[in-house]
Amino acid sequence: MMPNPLHYYRPDTITEARDLFEQLQRANQRPTYYGGGTEILTRSRLNDGDFDAVIDLKGIPELHVHEQDGSRLRFGSVLRLTELADRDLWPFLTATVDRIADHTTRGQITLGGNLFSTLPYKEALLPFLVSDSADLTVATPDGVKQRRLADVFDEELRLDPGDFLISVTVDGQEAKALAFKSFKMTRQDWIDYPLVTIGTARREDGSIRAAFSGWSSFPFTSSRVNKILSNTQKPPEERAREAVAAMPFHAVDDIHGSSEYRQFVTQYTLARMLKELEAQS
Amino acid sequence: MKSLTRPEQISFNVNGEPRDVVIYPGETLLYTLRGDALGLTGAKPGCENGDCGACTVLVNEIPVKSCMVLTPEVEDQAITTVEGLQNAPIQQAFLDHNAFQCGYCTSGFLMVGHALSQDVDNGSPERTVEWLRSNICRCTGYQEIYDAVSSVAHPNG
Amino acid sequence: MTIIGTSVPRKEAPNKVTGRARYTDDINVPGTLNAVIVPANKAHAKIVSMETEAAKNVPGVKAVITGQDVSVLCGDVTEDRPPLARDKVRYSGEPVALVVARDEMAAHRAASLVKVHWQDLPVVNTIRDALRDNAPLVHEKNGEYAVATPPVYPKKRSNIADEANVTKGDADQGMKNSDVKVHVRVSLPQIDHAAMEPRIAKAEILADGRVLLHASTQAPFEVQKLIAKYFKLNPGQVIVTAPLVGGAFGGKAAVQLEILAYLASKAVGGQMVRIVNAREGDMSTSPLGMGLEAEVTLGATRDGHLQAAQMRFYMDIGAYTDSAPRIARAIAAQCTGPYRIANVHTDVFCVYTNHTYTTAFRGFGHMPMTFAIERAMDELAHTLHMDPLDLREMNAIRPNDVTPTKARLTRSNLGDLPQCIEKMRPLIDWNGGKVQSVGAHRVRVQGVAAFWKTSSSPPNAVSGALVTMNSDGSVNLSTGAVEFGPGTKTTAAQILAEKLRIPLDRVYVHEDVNTQVDPEHWKTVASLSTYMVGRAVVDAANDLIGQLKSLAAAVLRCSPDDLDYGEEKIFVRDDPSISIKFSDLALGYKYKEGDSIGGQLMGRGRFIIRHLNLLDEETGHGRPGPAWTVGIQAVEVEYDEETHQYRILKAATVLDAGRVINPAVAAGQVMGGMNMGLGVASREGVHYDAQGQFLNQQFRSYKVMRMGEQPQQYLVEFVENPQLDSPFGARPIGEHAVLAIGAALANALSRAADVSLNTLPITPEQIWRERGARL
Ligand SMILES: Cc1cc2nc3c(=O)[nH]c(=O)nc-3n(C[C@H](O)[C@H](O)[C@H](O)COP(=O)(O)OP(=O)(O)OC[C@H]3O[C@@H](n4cnc5c(N)ncnc54)[C@H](O)[C@@H]3O)c2cc1C
Ligand code: FES
Ligand code: FES
Repeated sequence: MMPNPLHYYRPDTITEARDLFEQLQRANQRPTYYGGGTEILTRSRLNDGDFDAVIDLKGIPELHVHEQDGSRLRFGSVLRLTELADRDLWPFLTATVDRIADHTTRGQITLGGNLFSTLPYKEALLPFLVSDSADLTVATPDGVKQRRLADVFDEELRLDPGDFLISVTVDGQEAKALAFKSFKMTRQDWIDYPLVTIGTARREDGSIRAAFSGWSSFPFTSSRVNKILSNTQKPPEERAREAVAAMPFHAVDDIHGSSEYRQFVTQYTLARMLKELEAQS
Repeated sequence: MKSLTRPEQISFNVNGEPRDVVIYPGETLLYTLRGDALGLTGAKPGCENGDCGACTVLVNEIPVKSCMVLTPEVEDQAITTVEGLQNAPIQQAFLDHNAFQCGYCTSGFLMVGHALSQDVDNGSPERTVEWLRSNICRCTGYQEIYDAVSSVAHPNG
Repeated sequence: MTIIGTSVPRKEAPNKVTGRARYTDDINVPGTLNAVIVPANKAHAKIVSMETEAAKNVPGVKAVITGQDVSVLCGDVTEDRPPLARDKVRYSGEPVALVVARDEMAAHRAASLVKVHWQDLPVVNTIRDALRDNAPLVHEKNGEYAVATPPVYPKKRSNIADEANVTKGDADQGMKNSDVKVHVRVSLPQIDHAAMEPRIAKAEILADGRVLLHASTQAPFEVQKLIAKYFKLNPGQVIVTAPLVGGAFGGKAAVQLEILAYLASKAVGGQMVRIVNAREGDMSTSPLGMGLEAEVTLGATRDGHLQAAQMRFYMDIGAYTDSAPRIARAIAAQCTGPYRIANVHTDVFCVYTNHTYTTAFRGFGHMPMTFAIERAMDELAHTLHMDPLDLREMNAIRPNDVTPTKARLTRSNLGDLPQCIEKMRPLIDWNGGKVQSVGAHRVRVQGVAAFWKTSSSPPNAVSGALVTMNSDGSVNLSTGAVEFGPGTKTTAAQILAEKLRIPLDRVYVHEDVNTQVDPEHWKTVASLSTYMVGRAVVDAANDLIGQLKSLAAAVLRCSPDDLDYGEEKIFVRDDPSISIKFSDLALGYKYKEGDSIGGQLMGRGRFIIRHLNLLDEETGHGRPGPAWTVGIQAVEVEYDEETHQYRILKAATVLDAGRVINPAVAAGQVMGGMNMGLGVASREGVHYDAQGQFLNQQFRSYKVMRMGEQPQQYLVEFVENPQLDSPFGARPIGEHAVLAIGAALANALSRAADVSLNTLPITPEQIWRERGARL
């Protein structure tokens, strides 16, 4: 057990944080933003990080926002997963984040840290991926900017280097109108990375969207798959089978499960979710 | 802005006492607690990776894996370690239910159990299981630990 | 007295719930240096050269040691393991260098700067790879190594490190006489002990030549002997201290970090050096539990009487032998499980691979062995359409039978399996193993499996106890058994209190073990502590009582034969009013005039195992342990036929404990054992990639049971048929609940899923695969 070779900074304002990042870079340091630290510290102790300074974002009030802000639900990026669940502003988000890691660790992991995790899973992203209205509030050198999630998401949320997430918002109406299911499937254990975690939502028009984590090395949603899932002419089992066949990426093969098994699990899970979703309405 | 780039003194409250300790900017709370200055070795390193919970302490009453926190993060906060439990009911419950063997995981489980029993909506078997899943015990059958925590967190079933 | 058979808390319990219990790393001397291992990142490769300059130049670094600096070879049977790899590495994670520095930060930084130039060698990644013709050799010198403790029969120019065979009767003929035969192949991965306290050792060499070692070990006396032997020291010079140990499970009986700590201290002029495993190293660098591939053929008559057994066991021992040959012999000796089989032939092979090396694991090979035989028993029951419990009861081994190695069994040295089985039926509400539907795609099934085990200890294993008196008549108890959870010290204290007829709280145990002051105890393994330490304690108690009586006899002017004792007094048997308190004798008796006689009273007790012998090379015959503990285990599972997920509803054990000394602690041991065995069977196992890299060296990926995954209900009962030569008749029970519960799970699930589940761990994916992997 030993101290990590890291410098520690805790700015008080957004501007201070954003400027600090550049200052440190200019001084040839390798800064990284620090949310809950659960990933940074696990990587640091294994010498697997390209950083030597952490900028702890938890001192900035705007990043703690957790509210219904006009018509939008706003989630600050340093909110802990347990805070999200306890407040339960968006039950879909609660259901998803409540299955990440374990309870104590969820009290440490932040929303921003999960969304920007370097691991393949980023399960907290799933509800935002299936919604139409998700926006990111981002700190940039030119001040605070809004970005549509759809515009910055390409296998991961791509911000410009040095930018960081202040908060995420979704339209309150949309969030409320979505009937949802979130299922996390693991190899065997309750606490584990997912074989596949699926977030599905049914809109008022009956169409269905699903987002997947664990299936490939990044979370995704696919319009083709969504279309298949929305075809209520066909029974859920058949839609699930077709959806699995139509996935845009190969299922990964790793110590949690083989590629074929992931397909099997995804298929029966999707079928179940469809049944439950459609039974609800 | 707070910045730490070399060993420096910071203050926090440990087990009800204000303490000033010189720390490295990158040291974990687990390291600080167990170090010579505080000597609180009740929190155990079992993985230092957030997985086992043997290092769990309370920060402002909330259970936290102390190997996954940098000490500068908890500046001015209130830390409770197992050494700070003063005849808490959870301790007697662990004795009564034989809730340990080697004892290495015990401090961590005690802290989670204690926090749960203090939590406003403690009280359900599901919640107890969910909180206790955060920790690993390799010796017991878990039932003993569950029974001990339940007896304090939701004594009426 | 009622101390025996009473649930008493562990002596150290209050310390464990207050954070005051101290383990090895909780006590550090300021100024201690830190050593860090540089692990190999190749599973099999020649070390062409190493660059250590950059590491040595890191500020704070005191020494960098490599295999070139150390010529000793280690091993408790075959001396095949260099403490730091020389010339080549044989598993990924193997120590190739050791950095000693002022602090861990400098040591780690320096370790990351040690550069090794490798020349890759083909990786022996499976037992099959290892046994192929012209397989690459893990050890070119196999068969030429010095042997510390025979027997071991390595096969030159092969990867077979050892072979053990047992023959009883005529297995071929027995098979011919059988109406039915079943054949089962099982495959089990290597597993990790995963004690919550990672291994740690600290060493210091004093100016007077004494070597002080502090370690989380089950075998302080073994550490003492091996360090003395490897480094040509007198054993008395080497002093090993073992404080409370945070879980062990066999993994801390191996001696590894202690050697490195000694080397590190030696390299820095004898300063205190600490070396502690991170979890990753504890899994991949320090030894694991073996993997196993086995084939079992059982022959039986149509009505279910076993006639013959033929078995082959291939142990994946990894890169070095450590205790594998002993484990191989234990498997051979108990290969039939607790059944009477007249004709047996069994071969056990220790196979070298480029996997992490292995050592004892709770049950000493009996857990994987039991899995093989108990899967075969269930297949046999299935083939014969018999109730699996009836089949086991009918074939249960009984007094006057002989074991596969022809050791004779008696009511004393063998527990009563049929009685255990009778008790199990109502306990689990046994339904014959029928598959019961409980809703759409859901079935409930029960499965059973039986076990037996003996100690497989060396025939000269010793134990001792020392009891000294305090001025108030209370006693101190010193033994050489380490405390890692099973309440060993408390049990010893209970036995002493019972014998001295004093309350338990009048016995103070010496919690740490210190090889210089505590009497020798072979190793705290094999569940033998109650028996061996217990016997020594009884001997010490008798010695002390003798001393109390003879001093009292002088004072009370009578013969010691006239005296009896109780309530901390020695009194005249026919007139108890004539008495003297223990406290008046403890430190000698002082007459009114002031002159005194006696001095401090201290009881000495010792014990040595008797009547054991090494197994004969040809036939394998011999007596491997003092007694066989037996038991039956059962599970009830609910299985989903669609998803292949399952939930363990009940897990039950009935074992013959001889006499239960501490019921609550015993039940705890059994529940913990079941939980571990079920974890092993349902989720555990090391994953290696195609290059032999260890993939899951964290709890994030090496999954063990967590809260909520344990059986919904544990059922534990004991039967008590005393082992006559053991204190109060107590039989060893510490390891046993781990042994057959995994097989019981596999048996239940095989019925539920209607497919043979012979590969561990049984994950839903594994079941799905066996069922044909249909989408
Ligand atoms: C015991 C344990 C179990 C786990 N199990 C799971 C699991 O089941 N499923 C799963 O998905 N993950 C799991 N994880 C991984 C976990 O998801 C990540 O460690 C976590 O999401 C990181 O969040 P954090 O707040 O701690 O982030 P940090 O470690 O602080 O940061 C992670 C990354 O996000 C960046 N970042 C943080 N905040 C922001 C921001 N506001 N803007 C931009 N970038 C930012 C950081 O720079 C860093 O690169 C587990 C982790 C642990 C310790
Ligand atoms: S040591 Fe912190 S969780 Fe294991
Ligand atoms: S009591 Fe040993 S790990 Fe829990």
